[in-house]
Amino acid sequence: MFESKAGILYIAGIGFFVLAFVSNALVPALMYNDLPEQTVEELINSNLRYQFEDLARRYPDSFKEAYGESPGGEAEHDAWWNEKCAEALRYGRKLYVGEGCWHCHSQFVRPVSNEEQRWGPVSRSAEYQNELQRPVMFGTRRVGPDLSREGGRRSNDWHTVHFFRPLDLSEGSPMPEYPWFFDGSPDKPNARGLAIITYVQWLGSWQESYPYYEDYVPSRERPEEEEDAEADNEDAAAEDDA
Amino acid sequence: MSGNTETTQSTDPQQTPRRRGVAWIITIVFAVLILIPSMLGFVMKFMELIHLTQGETDGGFAITPVVNYLLASAGFFFMLLWAGANGMFNDLEKPKYFMLENESRLDELDNYVER
Amino acid sequence: MSEALNEAVTTSHEEVKSSEELVDQTLVKLYFCTALTFLTVAMLAGLLMAFQLIRHNPLRGIELFSPGRWRMVHTNAIAYGFLANGFIGALHWIVPRLTLQPVFSKKLSWLIYAAWQGVVGATAVGILLGEAQGLEWGETPVWVDPFAQLGLGLLALNFMPPIARMKGPIYVTLWYFMAMFVWTFLTYAMGNFVPEYFVTGTSAGAVGGLFIHDLVGLFVTPLGWGMMYYFVPILLKKPIWSHGLSLVGFWGLAFFYPLQGIHHFLYTPIPMFLQYGAVVSTIAVELVVTTVIVNFFGTLWGSGSAVKTNLPIRWFYTGMIFYFLTCLQCAFQVTLTFQKIIHFTDWVVGHAHMVMFGVFTMWIMGMMTYLFPRLLNRGWYSLKACEWHYWLSTIGIAVMSADLFLLGLFQGWSWAALEPWDASVEISYPFWILRTIAGLSMFAGLLVFLWNLLKTWTSVPEQTAVADVSNAATA
Repeated sequence: MFESKAGILYIAGIGFFVLAFVSNALVPALMYNDLPEQTVEELINSNLRYQFEDLARRYPDSFKEAYGESPGGEAEHDAWWNEKCAEALRYGRKLYVGEGCWHCHSQFVRPVSNEEQRWGPVSRSAEYQNELQRPVMFGTRRVGPDLSREGGRRSNDWHTVHFFRPLDLSEGSPMPEYPWFFDGSPDKPNARGLAIITYVQWLGSWQESYPYYEDYVPSRERPEEEEDAEADNEDAAAEDDA
Repeated sequence: MSGNTETTQSTDPQQTPRRRGVAWIITIVFAVLILIPSMLGFVMKFMELIHLTQGETDGGFAITPVVNYLLASAGFFFMLLWAGANGMFNDLEKPKYFMLENESRLDELDNYVER
Repeated sequence: MSEALNEAVTTSHEEVKSSEELVDQTLVKLYFCTALTFLTVAMLAGLLMAFQLIRHNPLRGIELFSPGRWRMVHTNAIAYGFLANGFIGALHWIVPRLTLQPVFSKKLSWLIYAAWQGVVGATAVGILLGEAQGLEWGETPVWVDPFAQLGLGLLALNFMPPIARMKGPIYVTLWYFMAMFVWTFLTYAMGNFVPEYFVTGTSAGAVGGLFIHDLVGLFVTPLGWGMMYYFVPILLKKPIWSHGLSLVGFWGLAFFYPLQGIHHFLYTPIPMFLQYGAVVSTIAVELVVTTVIVNFFGTLWGSGSAVKTNLPIRWFYTGMIFYFLTCLQCAFQVTLTFQKIIHFTDWVVGHAHMVMFGVFTMWIMGMMTYLFPRLLNRGWYSLKACEWHYWLSTIGIAVMSADLFLLGLFQGWSWAALEPWDASVEISYPFWILRTIAGLSMFAGLLVFLWNLLKTWTSVPEQTAVADVSNAATA
């Protein structure tokens, strides 16, 4: 058995492989079976819609060229925005994968190494149970910061300039430039530029702590807490791009 | 490769007792070097596991993989015993000589000469 | 022991075909040359990324030279272009000679060659056009996957019959190869289809971890060790120390290796008890690796001077030392204590380079150093160049991995200390510069080798005997 060809093929070749697949892949799949997988349409929330419409306000010409104009009528209007937002998210994810963003930026906050303080709440399984995490974008390396709580931290204007030439905003950044997301200048993002920014603004937009700023504690929700957080509150805006 | 007898002899421990003694000392030193830290680590981790299973309510969950591995390993161990008892490991070393013999015959047919 | 030998000799005296009938030497040469071409491309891609990191990318802002895309070309060209081609070339040499049977069909061999280059080419083009799939080390665009899958199936079909036709107990090399044909097919299917079409989120992460892990452990590693078990005894002219121990290594790898996939994603939302399981089996496989290393150094025992005089042997054993170091590192870095610090840092990058270059590239280079003179029927044009190739590569990879390990620790501590993000980038620059220099050294080694190969190829073939690098290196 151990020395025969059939033994090698069936026990080592198939048997052990299947054992590993069952224990390492099927078990988690079954454990999360009860978490429904969300479609892109279900992922759109008001935070994201705000950012998406903000893109349309800031870059009206680019936006019109990429997505056209919204039809009249309130119901149609809303449906149209959601449809275009979903389109942008799907395309944005494709760019995120295709440009290899995920090889230098992770999308998960670990419960160790003080990451909770730096990035925000630790990642939970339910956050990943959607169409845009197929395959999942955990990432493998952090040359740049984690992005899973990035949405809303910075403005759309910041992102356009940063994608166009990162060194202008982040001193010493080794991030490559992406001039092909623009028609010549940072105030003219093309369809790709709009999509990737929508995708980045989506990350973390489902969080209660959105937008997450380091050391920032919302004042309304801690009526009887100590005062020393007050100081942090004030310079949160200054520190947010550190 | 003309002299196959030579090649097999080189694996024979035609060593002086002195060399054997050196090898023995090296083995002991390595064994001690590896065993002491690993035993220490194992015992510490084992104590940790016992505390874990006793302390937390869902600490029992932690022994699941350990039990799984023990069961699977035990299964394979018995299969190994069974295979050995059936004489499956009697000529375990044959293929390695066979392979070298093949190779030298192929080299002869190729007129491959090593300088 | 001599009894066993006699028996082996008597049973093996059937009619033997000459190796010219058995081995398609043109195809082997072609595979090796293609592998070297892709290695050159992959290393250039790596250099591009290295220069980007130190902010001296000469090709900034050009879409088709986007460092992000070329980084994926880098890893994929290594896996499917260099390692796969190099190993398949080796299979065409080793399997017929070990089994004394030709492959299933020589026409099929050529078809597979052409189809595989199509797959690798399409992968590169697809990635450069931004069509990558979001699976690490499986960025092959989704429309290439079915063809690659078919190619792997045909490969198994071509090589299994000679092994199946063989009588009597089979040699450990063939154990590894047989299992590899099944594993690679299954691994590729699992990684490229399951997380894309069947599961999502955290479970997809578990499958992705299993894929990237199995691609190393069940595709590259069995091919590499199978090759070592074949070439080392032949070059040292003595059998492997213990065939029985080598089978322990095989079964240990087969059992423990696939169970470890999740260790790539420790501290993710994947259930903790599964993460513990992966950690335990990773530490277990380290013991298995030790048996394999002991076996090879047992074989070398008594002929240690071969490492000095025999260049392929030196490549092989250097690779083995790196292999042992990498696996030892695995056993440590897989613990949660280490993971806290080193995950997401350059430590991991150093680890990956030490395995893929320090071990498997070294083994393929050693094999090529041995086989090219035989395939071309002439000695190396310059043995000095062979030495340069070895030393530039070895020093390059040693410096690169040490540099990246250290940098990884610094980055991890910087992050844990909640220093501003820019600080962790700032401390990286000197290390990244040193890494670029080390990479240039490795690339220079390759260029020396390519130049030497070209010179050898265009020199006059020797009429009588084939020169042999193994002993000629001393001359």
